[in-house]
Amino acid sequence: MAYIVRRVLTAIPVLWIVSIIVFLLIHLIPGNPAQVILGQDATPTAIAALTAQLGLNKPLPIQYIQWLGQVLQGNLGKSLLDGESVNHLIMQRLPVTVELAVCTILVALLIAFPMGILAAVFRGKWLDVTALFSATVGIAVPPFWIGILFLLLFTVRVHWFPSSGYVPIWQNPLQNLQSMVLPAVATGIREAAVLMRMLRGALLDVLDMDFIRTARAKGMSGYGVIIHHALKNALIPVITTGGLQIAGLLGGLVITETIFSLPGFGSLLVQSVFSRDYTTVQGTALIAAVAVVLVNLVVDVLYSVVDPRIQLGGRSA
Amino acid sequence: MRKVKHAAKIFGIIATAGLLTACGSQSSGSNASSNSSTTPAANTSASTSTLYVGLSADPPKLDPALSSALVDRQVMMNIYDTLFRLTSTKSIVPDLVKNYTVSNNGLTYTFYLHQHVTFQDGTPFNAAAVKFNLERDMSKLSPRRSSLLDIASIDTPSNDTVVLHLKQPFSPLLAILAGRAGMMVSPTAVQKEGANFVNDPVGTGPFMFKDRIKGDHITLIRNPHYWNGEPKLKKIVFKIFTDPNVELANLESGAVQIIDTVPPQQLSSLSSNPAYVVSNTPGLGYQGFYLNCLTPPFNNVDLREAVNLAINRQTLVNAMLKGSAVPGYSPFSPASPVYSVSEDTPPTPNATEIHALLVKGGKPNGFSFTMQTANDPVDQQIATIIQSMLGQYGIKMNIEQLEFGTLLGNADNHNFQGSMLGWSGRLDPDQDIYSFLITNGSLNNSGYSNPQVDALLNEARQVSSMSERKALYKQVINIVHQDAPYVYLYHQNNIFAYTNKLHGFKAYADGVLRLQNVYLS
Repeated sequence: MAYIVRRVLTAIPVLWIVSIIVFLLIHLIPGNPAQVILGQDATPTAIAALTAQLGLNKPLPIQYIQWLGQVLQGNLGKSLLDGESVNHLIMQRLPVTVELAVCTILVALLIAFPMGILAAVFRGKWLDVTALFSATVGIAVPPFWIGILFLLLFTVRVHWFPSSGYVPIWQNPLQNLQSMVLPAVATGIREAAVLMRMLRGALLDVLDMDFIRTARAKGMSGYGVIIHHALKNALIPVITTGGLQIAGLLGGLVITETIFSLPGFGSLLVQSVFSRDYTTVQGTALIAAVAVVLVNLVVDVLYSVVDPRIQLGGRSA
Repeated sequence: MRKVKHAAKIFGIIATAGLLTACGSQSSGSNASSNSSTTPAANTSASTSTLYVGLSADPPKLDPALSSALVDRQVMMNIYDTLFRLTSTKSIVPDLVKNYTVSNNGLTYTFYLHQHVTFQDGTPFNAAAVKFNLERDMSKLSPRRSSLLDIASIDTPSNDTVVLHLKQPFSPLLAILAGRAGMMVSPTAVQKEGANFVNDPVGTGPFMFKDRIKGDHITLIRNPHYWNGEPKLKKIVFKIFTDPNVELANLESGAVQIIDTVPPQQLSSLSSNPAYVVSNTPGLGYQGFYLNCLTPPFNNVDLREAVNLAINRQTLVNAMLKGSAVPGYSPFSPASPVYSVSEDTPPTPNATEIHALLVKGGKPNGFSFTMQTANDPVDQQIATIIQSMLGQYGIKMNIEQLEFGTLLGNADNHNFQGSMLGWSGRLDPDQDIYSFLITNGSLNNSGYSNPQVDALLNEARQVSSMSERKALYKQVINIVHQDAPYVYLYHQNNIFAYTNKLHGFKAYADGVLRLQNVYLS
C-alpha cells in the first residue's frame, strides 16, 4: 500500500512536467486559434479581438499558471472553439477508447496465448513456423489496412456488423459489442502478434530451465508443467509488453477510430491539435499521461501477483 | 506414447481456447444479425422516417453569426430559415420575408414578414427578432460583418415590418440574406444560453436540434410546429466521416443514405451502380492560388501572366479530379448567374507566348518561387502537378506545406509568393470577386490594385440588373486575365450520392442540403 502511495506521489512531478511540455509544444506549433476559428473571411480586427477574448495575448507563463490553477481544482478548462467543458468532451470520448483498448487486448490475449504456447511447445515444427509466419504478417500488415478490409468485407459485402454507429454499453450492450468487434479484431491482430512472439520467446527460455526438467522428471504431466510452472514464469515480459501496449493504445487508436467512426479519445486529440484548441489538447494530453502512469502502476502491481518473489518496494528475495 | 499424450493435452488447451474464441465470435455474429433491424443497415419502417446523412467534416459552429465553415451550413440550413432563400433554379425569393420593396435610389429595403411564425422555443419571430439578428451579425467578432457593412441603420416601424437603410446601393444584399446572414436565431435562446448557444441552436426551421457528440454525430428532430409545411422526416442524424472512402463504405453498407462527397476515383463506378444516385452539379466556388503582387518575383506582371498561362487546367482536372470539377479561368462557375463561357474557358498553354512573357519580364531562363499550400493530400497533389507544368518553362516552383491557420495568416499578411487558397463560393457574384480584387479588400491577399477594376467592381454593386452586372464583371475578368493577381484553376462540383430509396432530393447551387421535403421509401 505504501508502495502504491509512493508511486502515486512520484507521478505528480511526472504529470507536472508533461503538462509544461504539452503546453509549450502546442503553443510552439504555428497557427493562431483565433485565425482558425474565424476562418478565411476574418478581418485582422476580429482576429485581434478574439485573441484577446480568449486570453491568448497574455504572456505564456500567465496563461499556464491560470490553466494549472483550474486543473488543480479538477477543471480542465473550456474548449477555445466553442466554450464546451473539456472535462465533458473527455468524458464523452474516454470510455469509447478505454473499451476499445480493453477489447483489443482481450482479442490479442485470445489469439496470442494459444499460438504462443503452441509455437513454444512445438519449437521448430510446422506449427511453430506457421505461428511465427502469422505473427510476422500480423506485425507487418498495418491495422488500418486490416480495418478497411474488414469494413468492406463485413459491413459492405455481408452486412454482419455495422460500419459505424457507436452505442454506449449501458444503452444497449449487444449493439455496443457489435460496434466493437471489428475494430478490436483489426487492432488486436497486431497486438496479438507482438504478444505471441514475446510469449513464445519467454516460454522457450523457461522450458530450458532446470526446474522444468525437474518437474518433468518428477513425472508431472506436460500440461501441468506448461500451466503451473512454465507459463507463470514466462508471464513477466508478457505483462510488461502488454502494459506498454495498453498505454500505447489509449492514445494510438486514432486510425481505427477514424475507419470505424468511433467517437474516441484519440480522434479528439487529433481534431483539437488541428483546430489549435489549446485547452482541449492540454486536457487530453494530461489525461493520456495519467492513463500511462496508471497502467504502469497496475503492471508493477501485477508483477508481484505473478511472481511473489518480486517485492514492490524494490528489493528482491 | 508419453509425447502423444503431452501433445494431446496441449491440443486440448488450444482447442478450448479456440472454442471460447469461436463462441465469442459466434455470439457477436448472432448479435449482429439479431440487432440489424435496429441499425440503419436494414431498411425498416423505423428507418424510413430517420435519415442518416454522411458529412465529410464535423461542423465547428452551428451559430450563423459565428460560422466560418461551409459544412456548418449543411446542418444549419435545416435548423434555421433565412429571410430570403435560394431556389433549385438559382433564383432568390422571399422566405421568412413575405414580400418586400426597394426604394428607387436603392437605399431603402422594406421587408414585410410572415406573421404567426415562432422559433422552436416558442419565441415569436418578428421585426425585433430580425433587428436583433442583423445587429448580432454586424458585431465585431462575426464573420458576417464584412458582408453587411453597407447597412446604415435598421428600423422596425411595426411588429412585422423591417426597414433597412443603406449607406449606398448594394445589389448583393438579398442574396446575402439568403445565406448565413439571413438565418434567424431565437433571441431568447441567445440571451439564455450566451456563448453556449452554439451548442444548443434554436431557429424557426423544419428541424430542431436534439443532441450532438462532437466528431461523431448531430441529431435533428422534426419541428412539429413548422410554419411552412410539415417536414417528411421525423429525424435526421448527421454522421461525421473524416475519411471520404470510409464515408462511401458507410453509404454502401446502408449506415447512411446520403453522403456529401465521393472520392473522384470512385465517381464513375458509383454513378453506374443502379442502387445509388449521384448528383454531380456545378458548385459556386473555385480553387486557385494568389500571386503576391507586392514582392518579387510577382510584382512583375509579365511573370504573373506567364504562370497564369503555363498551366493546363484541363489536364489538371482530368488527372486529379476525374469528373468532380471543371476547368476554370474566372471566379464565376457555370452555376453563377454571371457565368460567361468565353471568360471562364482557360487557354491551352502556348510555349512561344509564355517564353515571350518571361523575356519581357526579364527572366528569359525562368525563375523560382515558393508556393504555400495547406497540409492536405489533394492540395499537395495539385501543387505537384502545377510544379511539373511550370517546370517545362523553366519556372521552378517549391512547395511549402503549412497548417491551414498559418496559411491563412500568411495570406492575410501578404507573407508569401504564391498561396494556394480557394473559395467555397457565395450566392451573389459580388461575394466571389469584390473583396478579392478591390484595392485593400479584406480578401485581397495579393495586394492587387487597379483603379479601373475598383471602379467596375463598385459600379457592379450599385446596378440592380444582373445582365448589366454580368457585362461589368466580364470587363473585370478580362483585365484580371492580363494582370493575374490570382490564378483560377477549376470549379469544384457539388457532389452528393444517395440510395435510390431516397426521394425529394434537389441540388442547389450553393451545395447545401435542404431536407424538408426529402423522404425514404
